[in-house]
Amino acid sequence: MRTSRLPLLVLVLAIVAAGTWYYLSHRPGAAGSTLTVYYTKLDGTTLGTLSVSLRSQQPGEGAAEHRHNVALYAAVEAVAGPPSEVQAIRFPPGTRVLGATVNGSTATVDLSREVDQQPGGAFAENGEFKALVYTLTGLPGIDAVQVKVEGKTLPTLPGGHVELDTPLHRSDF
Amino acid sequence: MLNLIRRFIVRTFSLAFACAFAGTAAAVAGTSAPITAQYQQQTIRFTHVESGSLGLAIGSQDPGLQAVLRATGAVITWKPGERYVMITTSVPVVVSFAVGDRRYEVGPISLQASFAPYQEGTEVYLPFDEVLRSLDLALRQDGPLTLLQPQLATLDVSTQGARTTIVAHGGAPLHPRVTNETPSSVTYEFDGVGTTLSGTRAVNAGGIRALQIAQTGTARDPKTLVTVQLLPGAAHEAPHSNDDRDVVLGFSGAPSTAQTVAQQPGQPQQPQEQQPQQQALPQEQQQQQAAQSSQPSTAPSNAPATVTGVTVQQSPDGYVVSIAVTGNASFEWHRLRDPDNRFWVDITGAQLAGPPLDQDEPDPLASLRVRQNDPQTVRVAISLIGPKTLTISPAATGLTIAVGRQDASDVARMGTGSIGSVVASNEEQDLVTPAPIDENATDNANDANWKFGPHDDNSGYVAKNPRLIVIDPGHGGSDTGTMHGGLREADIALDMAKRLRDILTARGWQVQMTRETDVDVYGPDASAHDELQARDDVANRAGARMFVSLHVNAFINSGPYGTTCYISKKGDYALARSIDRFLANDGTKDDGIIKSHLYVTLHSRMPAVLIETAFLTNPHDYALLASSSWRQKVVQEIADGIAEYSQSHPVSNQPAQ
Repeated sequence: MRTSRLPLLVLVLAIVAAGTWYYLSHRPGAAGSTLTVYYTKLDGTTLGTLSVSLRSQQPGEGAAEHRHNVALYAAVEAVAGPPSEVQAIRFPPGTRVLGATVNGSTATVDLSREVDQQPGGAFAENGEFKALVYTLTGLPGIDAVQVKVEGKTLPTLPGGHVELDTPLHRSDF
Repeated sequence: MLNLIRRFIVRTFSLAFACAFAGTAAAVAGTSAPITAQYQQQTIRFTHVESGSLGLAIGSQDPGLQAVLRATGAVITWKPGERYVMITTSVPVVVSFAVGDRRYEVGPISLQASFAPYQEGTEVYLPFDEVLRSLDLALRQDGPLTLLQPQLATLDVSTQGARTTIVAHGGAPLHPRVTNETPSSVTYEFDGVGTTLSGTRAVNAGGIRALQIAQTGTARDPKTLVTVQLLPGAAHEAPHSNDDRDVVLGFSGAPSTAQTVAQQPGQPQQPQEQQPQQQALPQEQQQQQAAQSSQPSTAPSNAPATVTGVTVQQSPDGYVVSIAVTGNASFEWHRLRDPDNRFWVDITGAQLAGPPLDQDEPDPLASLRVRQNDPQTVRVAISLIGPKTLTISPAATGLTIAVGRQDASDVARMGTGSIGSVVASNEEQDLVTPAPIDENATDNANDANWKFGPHDDNSGYVAKNPRLIVIDPGHGGSDTGTMHGGLREADIALDMAKRLRDILTARGWQVQMTRETDVDVYGPDASAHDELQARDDVANRAGARMFVSLHVNAFINSGPYGTTCYISKKGDYALARSIDRFLANDGTKDDGIIKSHLYVTLHSRMPAVLIETAFLTNPHDYALLASSSWRQKVVQEIADGIAEYSQSHPVSNQPAQ
């Protein structure tokens, strides 16, 4: 009797699994929210914002992974800055986000070496890192940003002004 | 038996989910066939290509894709194991894909790709069409030849009063020329770019009645014609560009037909009139104009959007339904499954201008209906003859729906997005900006609207030598600081430091310099930490009363100018406020006091200020910095500020003033 029911049980489970797969793979993506991206205006201190679409947590994406993904996305958006027609302080051309991690309430953003190519003066550095910090700390649970360059923590950028060997907070700007 | 069932459940679900993910790839990865395409006189070979029923997939490490990314100035961000795949375009706009998710984000808009990206080995495969679209490119056939055709991707229309600006953005440098000009219209030809924007869009504002967009030429030599139909009395300006891929077309006229009657004739065109003023007051004017021109909104962000027209135009691939929208709105679209081939899009936050529409349309469309569905929503509904392909493309000026003649299967059933400006208007900025200087404020941090944490509080500092001021000429030695036009920051800072030293010593202060010549303070090629800490050490070890660091600012363009006092600690504020008060009339703009996380002001125990005296990269400021009389004037004002501070913050043994 038990043996005769087993194929039926397998068939039912297979149908349920197939249905689950079909639902997960064909349903429209869940509506996401928005991410506020900050940029520093050319007065050197005032912040502007733009809103970009933010993907919601996906099936199979754990909470920790989603937190990481959103931090990475926010860092990429902050380094990209607003469209070119918007007057803003921007990271040096070619600056890329090599990675982003979240540990506790601190997000660590690893930037490529192009960030070293600053024009000089405190103006650009201050504006760039202020925008990055405000964007990342706008995410729930993040209140500080540790900046790295090519995987290394630096006291400042070469010939730079902003101290980078400790996490940056909104209150630092 | 229970264990057996559990094993079956685990195995069955594992199998099903394995099939699910393999199925995504398999649905795409029917075959692998390299594609050779012509692009900008180059032959690009895409070898990491997989084709299947849902379209082409391109590998992230494909040499051809990498070449195209480099050529277009785009960057891809992805590492094996990561879920998110992001392409930052040259605009810049971030296009964000995710492994296993068909949805992808383009700035503020969320769209559905034809299939979800998937990872194979150390490479992620992305929907090729969507990747190319994000780079303003499209694959086109010209007989046996495959072409990577640049597209005229967007035409952003921004109307402010009687003026309209159209910003055209393309996947190649745009050099429009006027090919036809009459009192009622002007036609621009964009050579070398195709478009999917073909159709007519009503504007009826800022001197423009409507835009007509059409593609001519061949796949190899495409041309896009943009005909701007003008309202009576409107004038147009010569196209100009700040960026090769963005061209600005300017128009002046009346904001509406009714207002055209009241418009004064012969209203001068702005560029010609403003040019002399720009030369007379270069920085102030340019910045104000730049700020104005950066307002991208077609309407106030809190004003309801307006659906000004819906048109249907035949295209080579079928029909294009163009929904013209002014202002910002969101939309959500749905389509039903075959055989019920209805599609509708709800534009929320919008009002329909004009009467509703209900009309029959030619195959493959059956009918088109437009109505105000509720007070906040305009619905555009299309009945299709068969499950035709639909491509929904939002833009600042509305929404286009391209209806193909081909049947499609496994299509997306809904999507959402936004229409209008991608940039928020300037309503929010002051919320996160430190307050300007309050002339009546004391140095109490609460009164001064500055926020300092406990670690920023050096207000209890007691100077060992209250007669001593340490002056720090920025940079020096192996670090020249910024350089421009033959001037070096290290030299200017040292010159001003010596001048300041002479004034202060004349007033009875003891002064110590962190450097007296063009040298590193710690040593040649020292680490940033050692070099900057060495400067703070001079002041900290001496127990100085104040620390003043002199610098020169710079930027990547000549726009910014002015004097800024940077501080980091609570006790810095009063000193900076006194100095800034005197520097306010130094001949350049007063940019005030900015709190930042600067090393030298942070690690000095005493009140400290880092003064960026002017911008070497700005012509006006450059002339000031090059002038010894201006440098003398500036340090005189700094000394006066120090005097005011010392008088308002006396200590028992400070020098007599």
